[in-house]
Amino acid sequence: MIKKIGKALVVGGGISGIRAALDLAEFGYGVTLIDKASHLGGILAQLDYQFPTNNCGMCKMLPLIDRDSSSQYCLRRGLFHENIDILLSTQLASVEGEPGKFQVTLDQKSNPVDPSLCVGCGKCIQVCPVELPNCFNEGLSTRKAIYLPLPHAIPNSYRIDGNVCTLCGACVEVCPTDAVKLVDEGRKKFSILIVDDELIVRDSLKEWLEIEGGFAVEMAQSGQEALERLKEKKFRLMLLDIKMPGMDGVETLQKAKEILPDLHVVMMTAYATVETAVEAMKIGAMDYLIKPFDPDVLIPKIVKIYEELNVSAGLTLEVGAIVLSPGNSYFNPADGKDTLGYGKNPDVITGLEFERILSAAGPYEGRLVRPSDGRPIKKMAWIQCVGSRDFQTNADFCSNICCMYAIKEAMKAKERAQNAGYELDAAIFYMDMRTFGKSFQRYKDLAERCGVRFTRGRIHSVLPDKESGNLVVRHASYSGKISKDAFDMIVLAAGQRPALCTSDIAEMTGIELNSSGFPSTRPFSMSGTNQNGIVVAGTFAGLKDISESVTQAGAAALLASRVIHASGGGLALESGPAPIYADVSRENPQVMVVICSCNMASGLSEPEKLAENIKADPCVKHVLFTDRICTTSGWENLVEMVKKHHPNRLLIGACLPYLYARNLKALGEEVGINPRLMDVVDIHTPGFSDVDSQDPEYFRSMTETTLKMSIAKLKYADCASSVHAENSVFQQALIVGGGIAGMSAALAIADHGFKVDIVEHEKELGGNLRWLETTIEEHDIPSFLADTIAKVEKHPMIKVHTQSTVIASAGQVGQFFTAIEENEAPAVINLEHGVVILATGGAEAVTTSYGYGKNKKIITQKELAQKVNADELDIRSIKTLVMIQCVDSREEPRNYCSRVCCASSIKSALQFKKENPEIAIYVFYRDMMTYGFMESYFTEARKAGVIFIPYTINKKPVVTNENDSIFITAFEPIISQEIKIEPDMLVLGTGIIPTLPPSLAQTFGIALDQDGFFQEAESKWRPVDSLKEGVFACGLAHSPRNIPEAIATAEAAAQRALRILGHEYIPAGRISSTVRSSLCSLCERCIDTCPYGARTLNEDGKKVLVNSAMCQGCGLCAAVCPNSASVIEGYPMEQMLEMIDAAIL
Amino acid sequence: MEDFEPVIVAFVCNWCTYTAADLAGTSRLSYPKNIRLIRVMCTGMVDPQYVIKALLEGADGVLVSGCHPGDCHYINGNYKARRRIKLLKTILPQIGFEQERLKLTWIGASDGIRFAEIMRELVDQLTEIGQSQAKLKMVI
Repeated sequence: MIKKIGKALVVGGGISGIRAALDLAEFGYGVTLIDKASHLGGILAQLDYQFPTNNCGMCKMLPLIDRDSSSQYCLRRGLFHENIDILLSTQLASVEGEPGKFQVTLDQKSNPVDPSLCVGCGKCIQVCPVELPNCFNEGLSTRKAIYLPLPHAIPNSYRIDGNVCTLCGACVEVCPTDAVKLVDEGRKKFSILIVDDELIVRDSLKEWLEIEGGFAVEMAQSGQEALERLKEKKFRLMLLDIKMPGMDGVETLQKAKEILPDLHVVMMTAYATVETAVEAMKIGAMDYLIKPFDPDVLIPKIVKIYEELNVSAGLTLEVGAIVLSPGNSYFNPADGKDTLGYGKNPDVITGLEFERILSAAGPYEGRLVRPSDGRPIKKMAWIQCVGSRDFQTNADFCSNICCMYAIKEAMKAKERAQNAGYELDAAIFYMDMRTFGKSFQRYKDLAERCGVRFTRGRIHSVLPDKESGNLVVRHASYSGKISKDAFDMIVLAAGQRPALCTSDIAEMTGIELNSSGFPSTRPFSMSGTNQNGIVVAGTFAGLKDISESVTQAGAAALLASRVIHASGGGLALESGPAPIYADVSRENPQVMVVICSCNMASGLSEPEKLAENIKADPCVKHVLFTDRICTTSGWENLVEMVKKHHPNRLLIGACLPYLYARNLKALGEEVGINPRLMDVVDIHTPGFSDVDSQDPEYFRSMTETTLKMSIAKLKYADCASSVHAENSVFQQALIVGGGIAGMSAALAIADHGFKVDIVEHEKELGGNLRWLETTIEEHDIPSFLADTIAKVEKHPMIKVHTQSTVIASAGQVGQFFTAIEENEAPAVINLEHGVVILATGGAEAVTTSYGYGKNKKIITQKELAQKVNADELDIRSIKTLVMIQCVDSREEPRNYCSRVCCASSIKSALQFKKENPEIAIYVFYRDMMTYGFMESYFTEARKAGVIFIPYTINKKPVVTNENDSIFITAFEPIISQEIKIEPDMLVLGTGIIPTLPPSLAQTFGIALDQDGFFQEAESKWRPVDSLKEGVFACGLAHSPRNIPEAIATAEAAAQRALRILGHEYIPAGRISSTVRSSLCSLCERCIDTCPYGARTLNEDGKKVLVNSAMCQGCGLCAAVCPNSASVIEGYPMEQMLEMIDAAIL
Repeated sequence: MEDFEPVIVAFVCNWCTYTAADLAGTSRLSYPKNIRLIRVMCTGMVDPQYVIKALLEGADGVLVSGCHPGDCHYINGNYKARRRIKLLKTILPQIGFEQERLKLTWIGASDGIRFAEIMRELVDQLTEIGQSQAKLKMVI
């Protein structure tokens, strides 16, 4: 693994944080990834199923290049990467310094449960007396004060919720490994002074805090005495009574602060003097407690104060850039007027709560039942825009995600019901179905075909029907007709809100916030903030789904990496020499088996018998037992054993094998055993199956079988150290297309010191930006474009080939050979490059609908923009203007939303209304796609008097030509009448089509989707990658997008490309395939089956070659090979057969 | 036959079902004894030979389990497994094994409960069919 100088901090370990951290780490920078929670994954940890596959695929985000440097298991469980330090339960405390050199302080919360000792037996939860709603299941189930925050996380130790723990100590007593230490040593040093004139108060407080809290407590009976004590000793906390004879509490507080300014004071007061206590807080008291005291309340409160004051005393780091991705929060529908009954009726839930109901690990194990009475759900409804697009809740924005997740939930619920043998009636009540992403519209159509009902209208109220227990929804249609419909359960699409920490972080870092409280970004950027070196990603920056978050996180990583690079985070490689392992290929296997004896405590008897049985295998030389291998001392013992006995293979029987990757690698380097000849097997978990019978005999036989299978695996492990040639990389990039996306990607790569060639078929750079004047936010496009072009043309690392086209390309990741033809002075240029980014752009779609071409009053949006730019349009002379949205769009064959047309229409409408307030503008639309903060412009347009008239696909407006006039007839649903308009001009929003020629796609071996856009490897997890490694796409060729979004894809693609360009050689994975050419019959089945295109025939067609950088080690080729010529290193057939033997015999 | 506890060899994919099995284990879910998990990278790498070998060696049942369709970490390995297992099932009776001894399922990473459930179902089915006669009948 290469390591570069330079470090980044990523705040928030949700999906965006993980993406940004991995992108930076794969490029070689050191990353510190922190999260407030005790696990990674953010909200994704709670979401089991994602659109469009309706399942999960998070693991696809893991590195494909040099994948052995990171964990290779389900990403929901956790993450490991050599270049990433993960700090959980950690928050950002302060930021100082300047771009390239920030000093950050981090606060890490301590956990009373020692993770190195906790074996996860769960005995503590059985005895814990405190029960509270489980936030992992959104409060639909309960948990204890000691709990597992995430059932599937790795490492996974229990935690104690300090806010509710009563410190009763029951968990300490039952813990078999003494992992729980309620009273930490730090508390004894935390001295508390209790000042009260009543002896009984003093005594009882001292007793509680000393015995149950574990603090060091001293007492004083008057203000005077307290001050004297303070002079003698440095107390950390003073509990101070207000009403005392002589010097009262307030006076004592003032004087005490003079003696010890850092002293924290909590006032103690009777109910009658609360006001005085509040006054005291103004002069320096931090809180107050009201008498009489309840130890169950008091102790946790003091503990909380202690923890806040004592959080691991701040870890400081120096980092070059900071990526902020701490996520968001959600609107609580119980706030405000709440006519929908959330919080009052248990069967009215939020979308997130329903995700938990769907989850197999959720409160009802995935059964579709109501929270109130456990009755199966037969009829349910989703209500959209709860806390979004709503002035009353102060949300003049669209939350972007709710339409799609409602459809997904409805589909998933219908599937569940079908599996249970009945048909679910699912209805979605919406204002506009915002299916603006790639493939969203087709997904919605599919849902409609599957019987999900879509009803347009606003919900008046949800009221319970007392007799049936159902929920009655009163809703109004466009025409104002009120209808009622009863459901078993209602799901509310609660809108997104800024993260709770947003204002704190903004204060700390100086980033600006917008009027909705989300961070605002620089013009034309989705990640850059007003603070250079501090970038934002994911929902923290507002309103994004997974795919957008991942794209934007890539862009954020790029901006961060750029700052680190600019400030000297250079390309100097820091990697040491490759470790040398002993060649044992000629030796017989000599396996040393080390068994962790913690396991004995949980039921393993007669270890001697186990050892004897295992030793029956002549390959097993030693069977040793040791204690707690997972702890540092245990591991040192193990290292000693290895050094003493010199085995050539090592098997460790312990728990949580995932934890050992780093240790094994280090051990391998120390003792010269290749890590692929070492294995850790879980002997702990299999024994738990069938908990009812704690039969020691069974437990031993299970352990024995498990160990024997692993011994078999090790015996046949491939001991050749590395047979793969590493793949060298041409460290330069080719970018096809010189529009804004292409140029942004080129600048991003070139700024990191790599050469870039841009191939543009037109005479000039700029693409579509050349005919655009302003954005909806009124940012000036021409000057931005001129600026970018100047940067590109002046950049020493960028070479622009205008009027050129790609004619041929060959090669694979790291080594592409491409020929381009320059048309001006015909010449063919050959380029060698490691990656290619396709940024070929898109164009406005042509149409013949609505009489386009028959009358010059009918124009497209682009023609309108060009007329306005060229001052050919006298807006004052126009009386009536009509716009029709979704022309030929969102219906087959162009069944997708182009994202920009609605905003474009609103932009023009607002501009015209400003210049000519008399103008009448009518916009015919199907669903206004003013997603995100664009919603506010939709609001503004309505306020300005633009009339929006919805139409449906079955009842489109009709345009007729009469003499020189045009007439539009359409049905207006609000007045329920046919209307006829005679406009002076009709503008058609025809949408975007890609200009990614299939021949070019074929040249680079990538696929196009059915609409001709770039086909991503995975729409959510790898949004800018193609299935063929090394080929990326961005901009309009990728999907319809506005300018900042197109630039974000370009930056994300550039960052993905940098992962490859940053290496001189791409190392092969440990598990990858090879060919035994002597057995190969050249049937080429393996070539067809390889999902990554890693296999090719050589030049003379007589040999199958494997590109080890592209091979991901899935083993599909080995299974199709009729001659066993295709072999997976790390999973050879002999090994599998031997393991099967060991499993059964 | 009362205390017949079928031996099951389960080929589970590294990404989804192995995670689910581990989750079932760490969540202390009760599932039947005698399940031998063999972790493979993808169900698509499970060679029919492995399945037949396991049956011939005396396994009472074989489970192949991976990611849900569309979720395969390796794009489409599970689809390939599905085709292969379907074909393999058709030839199992020819070599003397009931089709029910081989099962293919999809178990997602968070479906620990589902994993335990499927294991119980499989054990019930195998108990009904009875012990594999492979060891008695065949000379290997």
